[in-house]
Amino acid sequence: MGDKLIHLIADLKENEALAMVNEKIDEGADPVSLLDDTRRAMEIVGKRFESGDYFLPDLIMAGAIIEEISKIVKPHLLKRRTETKKGKVIIGTVAGDIHDIGKDIVVFMLDVNGYDVVDLGIDVPIDTFVSKLKEVKPQVVGLSGFLTLAFDSMKNTVEAIEKAGLRQGLKVMIGGGQIDEEVQRYVNADAYGKDAVAAVNLCRQWIG
Amino acid sequence: MSESTQKTGPCFIPSPEFLARKKRLDDAMNLRKPDRVPVAPLIVHYYPTRIRGISNREAMYHTEKMIEAWKEVTIRHNWDVAVPLGSLRPARPLEILGMKQFKWPGGGLPDDQPFQWVEGEYVKQDEYDELLADPEGFAVKKLWPRISTTLGPISGLAQMPAPPLLYLSNAYTLPALLGEMVSSPPMVELLRKALELAEAHSKEKMLIIQYIQDMMNLGFPLPFAAVTFPSFDWISDALRGMRGTMLDMYQVPDKLLALIEMFTPLTIGGCVMMAEQTQNKGVFIPMHRGAGGFMSDKQFAKFYWPCFKSLLLGLINAGLTPIPLFEGDYTPRLEYLTELPPGRVVGHFDHVDRKKAKKLLGDVMCFWGNVPASLMCSGAPQQVKDDVKELIDIFGDNGGLIIDSTMGIPDESRLENVQALTDAVHEYGVY
Repeated sequence: MGDKLIHLIADLKENEALAMVNEKIDEGADPVSLLDDTRRAMEIVGKRFESGDYFLPDLIMAGAIIEEISKIVKPHLLKRRTETKKGKVIIGTVAGDIHDIGKDIVVFMLDVNGYDVVDLGIDVPIDTFVSKLKEVKPQVVGLSGFLTLAFDSMKNTVEAIEKAGLRQGLKVMIGGGQIDEEVQRYVNADAYGKDAVAAVNLCRQWIG
Repeated sequence: MSESTQKTGPCFIPSPEFLARKKRLDDAMNLRKPDRVPVAPLIVHYYPTRIRGISNREAMYHTEKMIEAWKEVTIRHNWDVAVPLGSLRPARPLEILGMKQFKWPGGGLPDDQPFQWVEGEYVKQDEYDELLADPEGFAVKKLWPRISTTLGPISGLAQMPAPPLLYLSNAYTLPALLGEMVSSPPMVELLRKALELAEAHSKEKMLIIQYIQDMMNLGFPLPFAAVTFPSFDWISDALRGMRGTMLDMYQVPDKLLALIEMFTPLTIGGCVMMAEQTQNKGVFIPMHRGAGGFMSDKQFAKFYWPCFKSLLLGLINAGLTPIPLFEGDYTPRLEYLTELPPGRVVGHFDHVDRKKAKKLLGDVMCFWGNVPASLMCSGAPQQVKDDVKELIDIFGDNGGLIIDSTMGIPDESRLENVQALTDAVHEYGVY
């Protein structure tokens, strides 16, 4: 039965998937196992995105299905799930830039690939990056930006991280519409990613 | 869209410089070899004012300063077009209307940030039927109050029990009822704002007309006067938001398609009107959601390409020249573009496999672009020149090439790199 639900979600059959979740809850199924099925479905969605079978509309639809399932399942959840994550990543769109599309895809893809992602949102002040780095101690920080002003924001953020003594052992990846090798050099990042799949591959390489 | 009314008056006698630049641009756009490769920005936002030390906020609130900077920068870099209109809106009309779809320096953003779009679900998914059945009524009663705080009172008015408008048709009913409608304090405030808008608009319009005349007299044509969007982007950017439209593709695909179809004639008609007023045939089409990565090829074929192709063909049939700006990576969509009639569309590219673009589209459309923004902002002039040379080597053979950066001139461009674009076409681009 679990497999069927996983496939319905992964194939983005919203109505059928939600009907099945409701049915299972009514039958007294374990809500934790339903959430596990959802997570496994999201892994499939992530893989399909990586292989170029799924695109943004499909990720957004998948996200909407998870939201709906959580709404149904959460009231029945007695204990919190604990998952072991592969490693921690902090992500945010740098100061001055309010674009979130690219960042959100990266967050989704890292999350379904088992990383503990802290999303700082958009227009993130340099100080917020620094204080969150101190608090969370991630292995990787991802700086996102769509506007060309993001080049300087990224550069200043990396400088501030260095000044705070947090650069050593930390990997910095950057990404966004106009980001390329030239910007990576300018910003002094460890790598740039052309898309969310590149971000996942960088984390695999750096964290495992 | 662009409010520019390009009335040059009967006394405009084009100078040899104007004619030379116009011909250079027309030749390249029509895939004929000009005397040299043109260098022309399609979008210019804050670069001209930044290099003069004027803040982004000042630029948007003082159109006269912005226009002075446009003139200076056009002449300084000896571009083949004047800084185009339309991409940077003056702030006052936005402010008077309380537009929610934009934030700008001084309007929710600090002085040195650029304006940015604010997407939202201004139309809800369950309102498709209502919008499709009565688009005019929906626009005025529901949409305007949602996208403009100033027009908020209209929504209250629309909810009041009101007689049919035809009832307001004699000397008793019209004065009494219209008087009643406009005399509530929120409506009085709205009318006051409308007057402010009228004044601000007239002032901006005069400045713009003067700018166009001055630039033409100085020998610089404008590449376009009208701006439009493919209906998918119009709906996705301005009405339903990206998340909204992408969910609609799954949840209510037929309604989304119906709205796209309804919008398409609007996306064409406004441009035809603008072109008639301005005698300028160029139509700028910024494009967002159809790029590679945003949707699958199958989704593109179903939801995006039909409305985009109809838009292009509609403009071409009206004798206009569409100038789509293919934002993002358009390499996966190049095959579609081969369906277009040759020499009638000018494609401005952001990221694309240049050689593949040449192979597939070399005989279809003039290539406009695409020196990376990163080089403009943080590279060296020689790198910029080398990149222009590469573009000329790939695209130059049939004349169908215009030089620009990926998305127009980036705000943070170094002056010497912008100059390098011009120097490079003079060094390597003479046919």
